Amino acid sequence: MKRSRETAASELFAAVYPRLAGWVRRLVDDDETAHEIASEAFTRLWARWTAVAEPRGFLYVTAANLVRDHWRKLERERRAVRRATAEAAVTPHPEQADPSVRLLVQSLPERLRVPILLHYYADMPIREVSVLTGRKEGTVKADLHAARELLRAHLRRSLDHTL
Amino acid sequence: MITHSDEGPDHDPDDPLTVILRPPAEYLGAPPGHYEAIRRGASRRRLRRAAAGAALTCGVAALVVLPLRLSASDDPGSPTVPLAPPPASSPSTLPSRSATPEPSTARPAQGTRSTAPTTTPTTAPSTAPSAADRSSPSGGTTDPTSTRAPSGLPSASRSEATATPSSAPRS
Repeated sequence: MKRSRETAASELFAAVYPRLAGWVRRLVDDDETAHEIASEAFTRLWARWTAVAEPRGFLYVTAANLVRDHWRKLERERRAVRRATAEAAVTPHPEQADPSVRLLVQSLPERLRVPILLHYYADMPIREVSVLTGRKEGTVKADLHAARELLRAHLRRSLDHTL
Repeated sequence: MITHSDEGPDHDPDDPLTVILRPPAEYLGAPPGHYEAIRRGASRRRLRRAAAGAALTCGVAALVVLPLRLSASDDPGSPTVPLAPPPASSPSTLPSRSATPEPSTARPAQGTRSTAPTTTPTTAPSTAPSAADRSSPSGGTTDPTSTRAPSGLPSASRSEATATPSSAPRS
């Protein structure tokens, strides 16, 4: 029993970890943070007493929450540094240099962010996203549509600024 | 609520948004020994959580049981026996006690001696204490019990003289 559980855990790790860590890597600054977040997600999964029905989804949702926490922490640090140094008013916003993934996803409200991350970045089908988030499939589709509209508006604005 | 199909017109492959949102899959391999480290960390965390849960349970149980035990020990074990009558009732016994030595010492062969002990205990519990209380300051001249036996008055006066030294040290 314990051996089979160990084998299943090992197989899950081998199958999901590289992809999860790569997914996180696109959203955070460096490899080390990506490994930390992916490891923490696996630790939380295996530290639970009860078995998780959808381990892959659990890992991605946990990692998405950890990425959000990481972003918040970074934002607080940046604000503190900006407050401390007067240069902040002169230098451009660091996020404007990379308006791709993080800026777009970070600009989304909490409710729309997780479906976007899971559906587009983790390649999960809508049905799986609805199971993981506890929302109906129609609601997930509507959320994705609203998120795409918001992202399109953000993208258009950032392209206008660069031109 | 109008729902939009995820594979509908929003999903144009040439849309820059779609290009950004569909990034090529990126893989980041785990460093060697990472799996074992994560497993160890997970089991450690589970143990710590179990210990914290057990400690919390013990604490709650102690908080529930201790007050119950303390309140149980504070309960009175048995009803207390009522105290003896106050010392103010002791003068009522004085005449009877003085009466008992009096026949034995002063008049050994008299008929009144046999009646005096029988009458005093029957009246003493209910009426004698209050009557004695009222009569003791006045000197016993108005007491109905004392008027009941006029023949015993001189003997009582005589016995008082003999009994007071014996009763005075007691009180």
